[in-house]
Amino acid sequence: MKEDIKLAKWLDGKMDEKELQEFEALPGFETYRKIKEYSGAFTAPEADTDTIYQNITRNKNRKNKVVKLTPWFSKIAAALIVMLGTAYFFYATHTTNEIAVAGEHTEFLLPDNSSVVLNAGSEAEFRAWNWDSNRKVELYGEAYFKVAKGQKFDVVTTLGKVTVMGTEFNVKARGNRFDVVCFEGKVKVTSNNTETILTPGKSVSLENGKSITTPKEKGIEPSWINYEVHYHDERLANVIAEMERQYNITINLPKEKGDSEFNGPLPMNNLDIALENITTLYNLKVVKKDGDKIILATE
Amino acid sequence: MKKNTISGICEEITFSSFFENHAKSLRNYLFYKFGNEDQADDVTQEAFIKLWQNCADVPPEKAKSFLYTVANNTSLNHIAHQKVVLQYVAKNTHKHTDKQNPEFLMEEEQFKTKLQKAIAGLTEAQRTAFLLHRIDGKKYHEIAEILGISIKAVEKRIHKALVELRKEIENIR
Repeated sequence: MKEDIKLAKWLDGKMDEKELQEFEALPGFETYRKIKEYSGAFTAPEADTDTIYQNITRNKNRKNKVVKLTPWFSKIAAALIVMLGTAYFFYATHTTNEIAVAGEHTEFLLPDNSSVVLNAGSEAEFRAWNWDSNRKVELYGEAYFKVAKGQKFDVVTTLGKVTVMGTEFNVKARGNRFDVVCFEGKVKVTSNNTETILTPGKSVSLENGKSITTPKEKGIEPSWINYEVHYHDERLANVIAEMERQYNITINLPKEKGDSEFNGPLPMNNLDIALENITTLYNLKVVKKDGDKIILATE
Repeated sequence: MKKNTISGICEEITFSSFFENHAKSLRNYLFYKFGNEDQADDVTQEAFIKLWQNCADVPPEKAKSFLYTVANNTSLNHIAHQKVVLQYVAKNTHKHTDKQNPEFLMEEEQFKTKLQKAIAGLTEAQRTAFLLHRIDGKKYHEIAEILGISIKAVEKRIHKALVELRKEIENIR
């Protein structure tokens, strides 16, 4: 007999006389005998089979429900997957557009909680989804950025790129004019393959790609935020263009006055005062005011 | 009755008597396995519900094996056993009256406690096989069927269980 099942044979009463005699002579026999005797007198705790049977009867017809459920459940699951997939596709490729139409400012937050104030007649575009690997704001016009601490992104315009290094700054890209003013922290301006790093109060102004000088910015934020613009040797044509955007109007300026230089502040929330400033300074008068259209002429 | 083809396990009376015959064994087997009555009851219930739901596909002679297969598969999701607490029923068949003195009774009590502990310390495989034989009086071939293993494997498990029990009991002493 094989050694590894010897005890099983004994327990089952399958040992022959000779094997049994040998086994009984072994030292462990008494323990084995007792194990056999006492283990036979154990019982498992009594089962409450009546309750189990009742539960089974109650659940017997569960199957039918399950069968009914399965097809429409899977249909809904499939529909959900398709919907989610489509939504994901649109979401992933979706760009967020922020627009400030003429006559108004728009303030919004970037995904990293940096705040952006768009000046009148400006547009910004960015991807809210996957912002972390695509930190880029495309800007058409002028905007003031208050960057959340430790965040980094690029402002891309047709005239150049501004890299944020945790800061507050203003970017203006209109026509051929590109202005960047830094109010806090540091910004890097890249235009025509030249890089300039701006520190607070410093600014860069480019007209037709050429650097022009502008005075040191003294404020803590651009003046346009408070509807007042400070000009320094600015072409009157540019000033009028800004007024058109801010007031959402059209102004006809005699051509010969376009190159005159304008200095000083100009309110952008009070048209009468602004017009008075302009007309007094340049010997102009309002010849016609027809709704949103204003015609200026030499006095 | 809507369908006159209904027969076998699907017949309420057949199912009920099948339950009577097998519920207790299945439940005890699961109890030896888990060491927990609630888990054993739950899995027993689940297995019988599955059998009922599939009654049309399961011929009566396959019902038992279906039942244990379902129970074993369901058990895979259940966590490992707690201590198996067995009850002891005094059997008077073999006792010599002259041995019923207090000292003997005390020794007997001690041995039972040791044996209880030793059984709880067996592996699940050894314990289920051993207790199915000792408590439910299953034959080795029946145990083999329940556990889905060969008779040889059952004998090996029983042998090992006995060796382990003896070791445990004699070590304690």
